[in-house]
Amino acid sequence: MSDTPNYVGQAILRREDDYLLRGQGRFIDDLPTPGDTLHLGFVLSPHAHARILGVDGSQALALDGVTAVLVGDDLAKLVQAPFAEIEFPGYHVHGRDVIARQIVRFVGETVAVVVARSPYLAQDAIELVEVEYDPLPACADLESATSPDAPQVHDDIPNNTIFKGDFTTPDFEAAFEGAEHVIRERFRSGRVGGVPLEPRGCLALPEHGDGLVFYSSTQVPHLLRTALARFMEHPESRIRVIVPEVGGGFGTKAQIYPEEFIAAALALKYRRPVKWIQDRREELLTDIHARDHIYDVEIAFNGEGIVQALRADITTNAGAYSSLPFGCTLETTGGARMIVGPYRITNYTYNARAVATHTAPSGAYRGVAQPSCFMAIEGLMDRIARQLSLDPAAVRLANMVPTAELPWTNVVGVRYDTGSFMESLQRAMEMIDYEGFRKRQPADRLVDGKYRGIGIASFTEVSGTGAPGWRARGLVRMPGFDSGIVTVEPTGKITAYVSHAHAGQGHYTTFAQVVADALGADFEDVTIVEGDTATTPYGTNTFASRSAVTGGGALIRAATKVREKMRRIAAHVLETASEDIVIEAGRAHVAGVPEHGLSFLEIAETAYSMNNHTLPDGDGYGLEETDFYDPPLVTMANATHIVEVAVDADDGRVRIENYAVVHDCGRLINPMIVDGQIHGGAAQGIGEALMEEFVYDGEGQLQNASLLDYLLPTSEDVPMFKVEHIESPSIDTVGGFKGVGEGGLIGAVPAVLNAVGDALAGLDININVKPLRPTLLGNLIREARRDRL
Amino acid sequence: MPEKIEVTLTINGETRRGLAEPRLLLADFLRHELGLMGAHIGCEHGVCGACTILIDGRTARSCLHFAVALDGAVIDTVEGLAGPDELHPIQEAFHQNHALQCGYCTSGFLLTTLEFLRRNPDPDEDEIRRALTNNLCRCTGYTNIVKAVAEAAAALRAAD
Repeated sequence: MSDTPNYVGQAILRREDDYLLRGQGRFIDDLPTPGDTLHLGFVLSPHAHARILGVDGSQALALDGVTAVLVGDDLAKLVQAPFAEIEFPGYHVHGRDVIARQIVRFVGETVAVVVARSPYLAQDAIELVEVEYDPLPACADLESATSPDAPQVHDDIPNNTIFKGDFTTPDFEAAFEGAEHVIRERFRSGRVGGVPLEPRGCLALPEHGDGLVFYSSTQVPHLLRTALARFMEHPESRIRVIVPEVGGGFGTKAQIYPEEFIAAALALKYRRPVKWIQDRREELLTDIHARDHIYDVEIAFNGEGIVQALRADITTNAGAYSSLPFGCTLETTGGARMIVGPYRITNYTYNARAVATHTAPSGAYRGVAQPSCFMAIEGLMDRIARQLSLDPAAVRLANMVPTAELPWTNVVGVRYDTGSFMESLQRAMEMIDYEGFRKRQPADRLVDGKYRGIGIASFTEVSGTGAPGWRARGLVRMPGFDSGIVTVEPTGKITAYVSHAHAGQGHYTTFAQVVADALGADFEDVTIVEGDTATTPYGTNTFASRSAVTGGGALIRAATKVREKMRRIAAHVLETASEDIVIEAGRAHVAGVPEHGLSFLEIAETAYSMNNHTLPDGDGYGLEETDFYDPPLVTMANATHIVEVAVDADDGRVRIENYAVVHDCGRLINPMIVDGQIHGGAAQGIGEALMEEFVYDGEGQLQNASLLDYLLPTSEDVPMFKVEHIESPSIDTVGGFKGVGEGGLIGAVPAVLNAVGDALAGLDININVKPLRPTLLGNLIREARRDRL
Repeated sequence: MPEKIEVTLTINGETRRGLAEPRLLLADFLRHELGLMGAHIGCEHGVCGACTILIDGRTARSCLHFAVALDGAVIDTVEGLAGPDELHPIQEAFHQNHALQCGYCTSGFLLTTLEFLRRNPDPDEDEIRRALTNNLCRCTGYTNIVKAVAEAAAALRAAD
């Protein structure tokens, strides 16, 4: 980066806004569709577990405009069953046919695809396909899935246990046994999903014979292209994946789904454009779910509330199949690895397992594992405080790793290079007047008919995972790096290509800030290109809070190479040494002599042989450099959320009355955009804590596959968020950035739960589940009050 | 297949005609027959509000109407808000306050706000929040949208 950053750190308004506000964002269903396009419709299984006895498409095919009805065996000829390649002791690798062949394993699994002239006709055809099933016993429930008599999801995966892992530190038992106090708790986290406002879709356009231009609402264009090539056995170089505007991703669209393989394969088979736009019911039934977790935890501590040892037994619901490309252990191992958070916990043991059930596959939803594991550890911090009559903030401060002791490597080997655990908590307490709230709060918590409580969540946030981080979790094919190409064009303007793909994060603005500073260019002169595998270099793409770290790092490295070449050219033309050349504000000049210099245009014309100057010895034509960046294991951000809630004593409704965040994601690129990430994440976390939950019945039927029944937070459910930042630049990453995409959600879940727990502490109500819907809380309050009469 | 019926609408002040089979949703008619892609489809069951437009000046879910039932109606969509050079004050307030991220829900919020501020030009925060429950946003957490609507109200009052 340049010595004097001009753009990084500034709240520059977004370039994306103008076209989006005019309704000119081109999302997948807004793209021009050729007249001969074939539209797909999927026939979904109504059973959670059944044998497919037969599929009769004859009535559908009799409709004018219906081209084909295809089943699993038809597609198996075109696409191998994709599988996530996980190499991890205790992991059962298994594939999933893109259309079920003999057995369906969750409600919503595809049993047939119809191909029709319009989407309306495709819907008609779906209704006319007759499928005969032999229903089989289903297992949808995590609590019973590993019992000996539970129905098996896959014949070759005993006890439905897809993965089992454990870890222990050598002195764990002694430390645990020697502690004065032990608290045991079971935390139960309800199943939720990303539910982006835009459902998924794709448009496959054959070109040049066996070539394919594949538009998809994906977060992972390069990984998708590789997967299409690999499982269709089609040359990767004949496939181009383009990501149009994407209406929210949240990890949901970081998975590679069967429909994408089917659309691509059928476009190649029929040599015609093929389009599919998902509807909301399909989105809720078939997109990845997350967070169906059980945490059985035991924490041992001394009389001052200092943690001596922690034991975690973690069970996560994998759903019916491992999803692509992450498999099903992200939430399992993620929770196990991150539960120690900002605390000095050195004696630790875990058992963790991922369990198959007859429900939708689980995957990477914003926050991955961390809302659950911090629900557990932050819930335990509050319980320690209650048991010892200490303040919850004091217990946290006593257990945190102080800034002076960073870098710190935690008990599972994750390095925290820089951070502000105690400072973020202390500042958040000031912002929300924590001490004042405690002074005002009566012992019974009851003020004006509402129970008032305050809750804290202090946490670490995994971001910017590099190759070593993926290997440590068994994802042997997850690259880790991202790449950038920085080009100064012949006219002196700059195009920067990056391997990411946005879904609302504002990359056209933030990456331009990074490149402008790294080059010494004018922000207005920099254009960002991403989301197209034909123009952008390969990378791991956009999920797990990685763009700023990996994309920012790659662009800085590429821009720095371009900048060095520009200095050499300027020095050559100005007849001085390149060390004496300074580049700033779109111009290179001799240090201390600003008038003796060259514009980017003059340097570019030299580089592209468009004037009478020569190039320095050893430099070739052009001004373009490529570089990658693979960060270390992970890049650790941190934050504290503090929430005040009022719980209605009559109906159990929770109102968020005050909300403060102090976040530390290292060097801020654009504080306005970072704040937006935190607001949006916190709102999702409030949804997860208070209302969102996918509910399966005992037969594996999803009870709420509509937005009338799966509740998302509205403007009346969330408060005005107050956000401040501490900047502890990473010393382990290029640029000093840490990720921020998930922190808002991770913090909100435990903070809201702890606030409700605090509000109801006077009634001795134990808050250890989510979501905390009014019916649940209302019943708990009524029972508690009855017991006290 | 049932015959297609001619539908005439006044959209953003312009007369537009198209053919629609009776079951064609207004949202699909606007988007795929007339090429007005600004209203987005998020749920097709009237909950999310991404497809919100104005029909005869009132907000409506374009996914819950049939195009043929609206022959002769006056429709406003997001495409009619801005001039070629300037954004509408509501759009400008959304820009200034970072009140959009992915932009998928945004046109619905803009039209809800347009109608709301005509009815209530000087709303307080609670009134704004209540009005916006019409629409779901999954990206912004609403904080900046609420600020933008308040700022737009002030700008529109000042312009009056």
